[in-house]
Amino acid sequence: MRILIVEDEPDLLASLAQALREEGYAVDTADNGDDGLFNAEGTDYDAIVLDVMLPGMDGWEVLKRLRKTKKTPVLMLTARDQTRDRVKGLDTGADDYVVKPFDLDEVFARLRAIIRRSANKTTNIIEIGDVKVDAAARIVSLKNKPVELTAREYSLVEFMALHRGEVVTRTQLYEHLFDENEDSFSNLLDVHVSNVRKKLGAEFIATRRGHGYCIE
Amino acid sequence: MKIFKSIKWRLQLWYGLILVVVLAGFGFTAYQLQRNRQFRQVDDGIHQRIGILANNLHRPPLRPGNGDGSGVNQFGNRQPPEDQFPQDQFSNDRPPQFQRRSQVFHLAPENARLFDTNDINGFFFRISRLVENDRTIIAQSENYRQPQPVLEYDHYFDQLNHFDFPDRKKLVSPKTIAAGDDQIVIETLPSGEAIEVGCSLKPMRAELRNAALHLAGVGGLILLVGLFGGWWFVGRALRPISEISATAVKISAGDLSQRISAAETESELGQLAAVLNSTFARLETAFAQQKQFASDAAHELRTPVTVILTQTQTALNRERDAASYKQTVEACQRAAQRMRKLIESLLALARFDAGQEVLRRTDFDFSETIADCAELVQPLADERAVKISVAVEPVKITGDAERLAQVVTNLLTNAIQYNQPAGEVRVQLASQNGLAVLTVTDTGQGIAPADLPLVFGRFYRADQSRTGASNAGLGLAITKAIVEAHGGTIEVASEENAGTTFTVRLPI
Repeated sequence: MRILIVEDEPDLLASLAQALREEGYAVDTADNGDDGLFNAEGTDYDAIVLDVMLPGMDGWEVLKRLRKTKKTPVLMLTARDQTRDRVKGLDTGADDYVVKPFDLDEVFARLRAIIRRSANKTTNIIEIGDVKVDAAARIVSLKNKPVELTAREYSLVEFMALHRGEVVTRTQLYEHLFDENEDSFSNLLDVHVSNVRKKLGAEFIATRRGHGYCIE
Repeated sequence: MKIFKSIKWRLQLWYGLILVVVLAGFGFTAYQLQRNRQFRQVDDGIHQRIGILANNLHRPPLRPGNGDGSGVNQFGNRQPPEDQFPQDQFSNDRPPQFQRRSQVFHLAPENARLFDTNDINGFFFRISRLVENDRTIIAQSENYRQPQPVLEYDHYFDQLNHFDFPDRKKLVSPKTIAAGDDQIVIETLPSGEAIEVGCSLKPMRAELRNAALHLAGVGGLILLVGLFGGWWFVGRALRPISEISATAVKISAGDLSQRISAAETESELGQLAAVLNSTFARLETAFAQQKQFASDAAHELRTPVTVILTQTQTALNRERDAASYKQTVEACQRAAQRMRKLIESLLALARFDAGQEVLRRTDFDFSETIADCAELVQPLADERAVKISVAVEPVKITGDAERLAQVVTNLLTNAIQYNQPAGEVRVQLASQNGLAVLTVTDTGQGIAPADLPLVFGRFYRADQSRTGASNAGLGLAITKAIVEAHGGTIEVASEENAGTTFTVRLPI
């Protein structure tokens, strides 16, 4: 899962990014509206965390322009908690909002929810044969026994599970699992896929030669 | 009671009272005048009749033998023929002594009409001759009656009998006795007769009663009309007041957008409504500003709190090394510093607003303060390669040196921050017309004309990009508050893409 954070307060941006990375997300950051819009339009993020008060283009404007091309789920961060601000945010196309000051857990939960909704899932638990993915607890279990996965492996499983039945290309996987700063080797993805197959069964992820991977 | 606290009722009560007093006074006077007139008429009638009777009594005597001796009374008055005297006018039943002494009294016919003996309420008379310790009745009308009670009447005659004329005259003459329904006047003549003429006061009293009833009726009608008219007038005049109070009730319930519909702007109440409306408008603006201020202040505090929360929650999520804990603590410290600065600014503004800020006034040279401040901000200027040029002349002023230094520092910091790289800040101080005039000019991008009135507002930021910085947009608001607390003024002039000049004028 790859997330873009647009926030101008450096300390807040740094800690949010760190916390989300530790949650297993790939995180890109921008500290003003223009950079934020540029990133958001150029990459298929799983979600965007967008502050309202931004230098240059403000959050509303970024959202308005982004909605012309992308349906990426957006979580607004706002210091204004009056109803008219919330209504404005939701009407402009925000998927959810959190009022500052917030708890990190709340931000995580809301992010999970908007990502899930954008994949048309209603619960956090996805079952694929014997494999069960609990997105809230970030736990994958095989035949009701928890399986030890690294954060990156978990992200791979979760992303593939959310796009069950679709062929996911390697480019998509790269885009969603690694952030812009990671200088990843192309075989890193193969290593992760093979590790997941070892832990969850070889047939769990099918390879579509020349296209990508797929979970049936 | 509630009713007596209502202006309408009190007004009604007061002018009702006044109306009653005026009407009562007027009615009483009218009644008295009428009464006096009536009494005078009665008196005049009585006195006129006394005079006539006296004249009839003292007609010049006719020569004896020139007529019937019996027709001549003892005064020698010529007696009119018996048939000329209307029988019904005089009593035939004369007292014996009357006849015996040949004291026949005849009344001229034209005068006889004045005594209608059939009328119980008409005038009556009696003429008597006073002799020592006795009196003889010479003549009396049929309807004559002694006053009841007779005490005063008898007493008077007793007194008369004890005196000889002219002492009698001195006693009291004519004497008016009012007894029962009658009034009798007794006049003693020098020749020794007493003439009594009286009449009943009943008709007069009845007439007076009628007049009184009439007056009371008319007065009551006027009072009623006055009260109703007054009620209507007062209601009309006070209608704006009820409108005002209705509006005030809505406003006190929290709806500050309510206004009084001032239809009659000419009247005093219309003017009051206009004044109140403008007060309400100012209140609404002030409330809206206050609300905005509070909301802005809360907003400014939210960001640092969010920083502290996310920083600490992230740090506590798992075990970290010392360097990362240090980073977290530093970030928290920055956030806390920012909050402290904001809180100090808010408190300072609140104190200035409430007029509670105490200025520690001393005499000092303002130019020295400016030089110190310029030195203080030099590192910031160096950072942005901005040149500060100071052209000050010594000006002694009285004021709070620390607060005024804050003014200079704020203006200089702004001028540096909003300058272009390698720009210039010019600071000048001169004494003009008894004022210390400080100007701070930068060569920055300037302020849009539309934003000029806002720069001294709270939480105004010329550039949104500074929202992350420690500058909360209160600096110029505080600067203005300090200058104004010193009795000075601050102005801003700006040209876009050329620069901005702040001018501070302080009394020396």
